[in-house]
Amino acid sequence: MRILIAEDEPVLASQLKKTLMSEGLTVDVAVDGAEAQYLGETEPYDVIILDLGLPIRDGLTVLKNLRSGGNDTSILILTARNDWTDRVDGLDAGADDYLTKPFHMAELSARVRALIRRKAGKATPVFSKDDVTFDTRTNQVMVNGIPTNLTSQEIAVLSYLFHNSGRLVSRTELSDHIYQHDGDRDSNTIAVFVNRLRKKLGSDLIETVRGRGYVIKATA
Amino acid sequence: MTSLRARAVTGGILWAVAIIVLGLTGVSSYLTSQTQARFVEVVETRHSQAVVAVRNNSDTTNDLVLAIGDLVYQVPLSGQYWQVETADGGLYVSPSLGDARLPRPVGRSEDLQRREFAGPDGEALFGIGQWVTVSDGSLWHVQVASSLRSFEEEQVVLRNTLLTAFAFVSFIGVLGALTQVAVVLQPLNKLRQDVSGRWEHEDGLEVAGYPIEVAPLVNDINTLMERNRDIMRRSRRQAADLAHAIKTPSAIMRNELDNLKMEGAEVQEAIDALDRLDAQLKRSFARMRADGTDSTVGVATNLDTALGRMERAFQALARNEGKTFAATYPQGLRVRMDQSDFEEVMGNLLDNALKWAASDVQLDVSERDDGQIMITIADDGPGIPKEEIAKATQSGQRLDTSMPGTGLGLAIAHDLIHAYGGKILLARDEVLGGLAVHMRLPFASAKRAD
Repeated sequence: MRILIAEDEPVLASQLKKTLMSEGLTVDVAVDGAEAQYLGETEPYDVIILDLGLPIRDGLTVLKNLRSGGNDTSILILTARNDWTDRVDGLDAGADDYLTKPFHMAELSARVRALIRRKAGKATPVFSKDDVTFDTRTNQVMVNGIPTNLTSQEIAVLSYLFHNSGRLVSRTELSDHIYQHDGDRDSNTIAVFVNRLRKKLGSDLIETVRGRGYVIKATA
Repeated sequence: MTSLRARAVTGGILWAVAIIVLGLTGVSSYLTSQTQARFVEVVETRHSQAVVAVRNNSDTTNDLVLAIGDLVYQVPLSGQYWQVETADGGLYVSPSLGDARLPRPVGRSEDLQRREFAGPDGEALFGIGQWVTVSDGSLWHVQVASSLRSFEEEQVVLRNTLLTAFAFVSFIGVLGALTQVAVVLQPLNKLRQDVSGRWEHEDGLEVAGYPIEVAPLVNDINTLMERNRDIMRRSRRQAADLAHAIKTPSAIMRNELDNLKMEGAEVQEAIDALDRLDAQLKRSFARMRADGTDSTVGVATNLDTALGRMERAFQALARNEGKTFAATYPQGLRVRMDQSDFEEVMGNLLDNALKWAASDVQLDVSERDDGQIMITIADDGPGIPKEEIAKATQSGQRLDTSMPGTGLGLAIAHDLIHAYGGKILLARDEVLGGLAVHMRLPFASAKRAD
């Protein structure tokens, strides 16, 4: 799952990035409105966290431009202003949710997870398929009720496939959603992650459609 | 003296007094002299008649009483008398004198001698006497006297008539002054009403409706009102900027503290302090906003626009939580409230409703017969027990600390609604079963959106 954080305050941005990455999400940071809009238009994010008070181009304009360009990525706006007018401006312009500063990181990651889940059309935060369960709130993976340790990349792949369960996901799409904008991409490593997941969680969970990609069949 | 009306009345009274004093003095002295001249003329005529009678009857003096035959001379003490004396001591008098006599002549002048003296019954008399030489060469002193009573009575009547006339004129004068003041002050009264009803004038007061003397004042008032609005806008902006400047660092600190806490550090006191700081800031900004509205003038919110925005925003938020939000409102309504304040109230209340609702939040707007706008926000949550309703609108009172929030939403809405002269009432919603927040807001009549 790839997240764009558009926040000009570097300390806050790095705190956000750290928190979200620790939860197995892939994070890019934009420090001004122009960069945020560019990345939002060119990269396939799952959620954009957009501060309204951005330099160069304010967040509301970025939001309007993205929406008028047909971009329907889930957008969570951050505002430091007390006024409801700001929040309503954002929500009315197509934002999906808002948070006012100062906020608790736990609140933010819960909102982000909820947005990802809603986009995927999933009602519950816990996915399960046969004897494997995946709790999106804690990134805890259990096989037959026994916790399993996964690396952050493995979690990222599993999370994306679970969120898109029932749908064929290509390697390119997977790599688009688990690698950072400026990170090294190698679609072969995707195959490596999938193989490791099969070893840890059983070979039935993720099916390979040769030459096209991977799929987790419909989950409960 | 600060009252224009009192000034005008005092001025009018002073004018009236001056007119009465001067007019009465001038007119009455003129008329008195006229009356006096006429009186003297009458007495002179009587004297001439007496002289003619003496000349004609100097040889038969016994017929003098008949010759000066006016009846008033026959009635005793009638106030009209004559007295004729010869040089050798002969004396004839009118029967009206009875036993009394007029004063004796002084000297032997043949000129008319006029003098005043006391008459037979003590009343003042005006007399004319003259020595005349008749045809036989003998000298006669002919004297007539007339009571001044009638003259004085005439004077009194004259003075009274004049006084009445002038009193009437003065009364008309004061009345006129009052009327004039009322007419002159009328535009100022209108101005006062316009200023007190200033909510209705979103573009300031209409200068064209005032006389040219008052128009500059109206312009000044418009400028003042506009400046007032500017100051409001600026200070709100500054407060918002300040909030903005403080909140990002506050968010950073909070995150660092949360991390430290997770790592096992003793930071709970610091987190509590930061909580207090944030709550205090939020409360202060809310208070600033509510206080500022007292002097906000000429504002109105188009409900179609504002509620349309709220509807779209809260439908998105409701969707996130798997709840539904429905709003019903008639088109074309306006409330006398700044739009950002209105959205602040609605935002806080809808946010609360959405937070507590089990699944449904409803917003209904209706227009009352007296022009006030009724807005109700209802949810199907647990509601607020009757005994805690008063507490709920007090700033910072959180009824349930298990839900996130600062407990300010209801208090902020309450303060803002009251600042605009509206009413807010909490109750149980009959249909949904949760909390119903009823608001009554003043309707903005001017420039109704079509």
